[in-house]
Amino acid sequence: MSWLAVPKEWLATFGEIISFCARVVREVLGLRVLRFFGEALRQAGVLILSSTLVIWGLIFIIGLQVGIEAAYFNRSVGSPAYAGVFAAWADLRELIPYAFGYMMAAKVGTGIVAELGSMRISDEIDALEVMGISSITFLCATRLLAAWLVLPVMYLAGIGAGFFASYLAVVQQIGEVSSGGYFLTFWMFQNPTDLVYSIVKGMTMATAIVLVGCYYGYNAGGGPVGVGTATAKSMVLNVVLVHLIGMLGTQLFWGANPRAPIGG
Amino acid sequence: MADDYEDAKLRGAHAREERARAMVPPGGDASDEYRWHTGTNRATGAPDAVEFIEVHKAFGRNKILRGLNMGIPEGKISMILGPSGTGKSVCIKHMVGLLYPDDGDVLVHGESVPNMQDDQLFAMRKKFGVLFQDGALFGSMNLFDNVCFPLRQHTDKAEEEIQDIVARRLREVGLEGAHDKFPNELSGGMRKRAGFARALVLDPDIVLFDEPDSGLDPVRTALLCELIQEIHEENGGAYVVITHDIMSAKRVAEHISVLWKGRIVESGPAEELFNSDNMFVRQFLSGASRGPLGME
Repeated sequence: MSWLAVPKEWLATFGEIISFCARVVREVLGLRVLRFFGEALRQAGVLILSSTLVIWGLIFIIGLQVGIEAAYFNRSVGSPAYAGVFAAWADLRELIPYAFGYMMAAKVGTGIVAELGSMRISDEIDALEVMGISSITFLCATRLLAAWLVLPVMYLAGIGAGFFASYLAVVQQIGEVSSGGYFLTFWMFQNPTDLVYSIVKGMTMATAIVLVGCYYGYNAGGGPVGVGTATAKSMVLNVVLVHLIGMLGTQLFWGANPRAPIGG
Repeated sequence: MADDYEDAKLRGAHAREERARAMVPPGGDASDEYRWHTGTNRATGAPDAVEFIEVHKAFGRNKILRGLNMGIPEGKISMILGPSGTGKSVCIKHMVGLLYPDDGDVLVHGESVPNMQDDQLFAMRKKFGVLFQDGALFGSMNLFDNVCFPLRQHTDKAEEEIQDIVARRLREVGLEGAHDKFPNELSGGMRKRAGFARALVLDPDIVLFDEPDSGLDPVRTALLCELIQEIHEENGGAYVVITHDIMSAKRVAEHISVLWKGRIVESGPAEELFNSDNMFVRQFLSGASRGPLGME
């Protein structure tokens, strides 16, 4: 077997994933998904009920860690009053999107693969098709629409949970800066544009995770073992994508301009 | 001693297989793997609802259909019989456009399935009701919603009318008390009957059954066969049943196609096939161990 066989296979799989994702996105943007709006709302409900608390929980814990690091790091450089700067940047720009991406990949992405994969191996997807229903629209486009409906709000509330946790750690737990002093620098080092950029980062991750989950679940084969393999593959790809999107987002939004009131 | 006995049994089995393989029909060639495939299609007097014309289909190097020519007559219960792995389920998937032939054509009421656009294909599929092996019920819906599903998606009927239709269909298959149950709360037989009710709910012209008897005990298989007959008498249409079970074939089949190695051995009215002179057909329809079909 030629050494080119493996990269060729990767390239072919990548092409398949892109083509599948483009089809799902077309179904949503072309509004054909609205034929199954009820199913999209049901999926939104499932997303809210099953994933909200766990996503907020992880973001809250990461927010606490950021607060503790912020307080001690700024003490170590002799500026404990500036803990808010560390918290503002680390929370909004990096750790909230990452925590959101990790939990989305672990909870939502793998859930989609497992559900669609088991539907595939039990002929439920074929059953949909022979009923004259486009299974890609019904199963995948509705999940993407549900994610787009629910996740921006969930992400915004998650940002609130992260900010609150950092405040608790810096001001209430370690307490080397007053509440007013903390918030002065905390709000000074971020603005609404940063918030929008953070949401864009989080939603790009969420979209990628839902699409990758749909691809691996929809195309699963080989019985229960095949579904397990597809779930593992989707998790690996999603974790890579979360970091890739995180890195590119930071480069794009803050790489050339830190958007901070520092110096001239 | 026991080992000698086992060896003797094995040698006997091999010898029987060798003899079976060496069988040749009059005028046939022992090296021709299709020597039993006369391809005879005995007339039924009914037009074909579905036709396979020289259909070839391979998965990788595994050639499943190798020039299949087959007709499914209108208004009859047809059975596609054949050894395992010979392409019966692949046939069903070609009829509804879940698989496309590598070569050849599949016609449904005279229209070529492989040449249909997506919209035409989805519209054509509404002519079909399919009962999958395990029912293929949606795990996220209860029984009632499962059976409602095609009606809610494809008709503008009022909810009350939908409920009446679904209640009638569930009553017909003996599931009137199980409306609220989820698929994982049902036995295999109940899931099949629920799948049958769902397949019938749009009054399809063609109903396909993929091994409806698999995993069922003989009594429930017989009851399911009776149900298929009763509902066919009531609704008409072309019913296609895929099975290995000869008893089921004897009970319900009006037309039989015997498939082996990706081609039809013989097809025609059931009573004529059961009296066929073809040794392969005779062996298969009697379930005999001696004949052209071995363990290969």
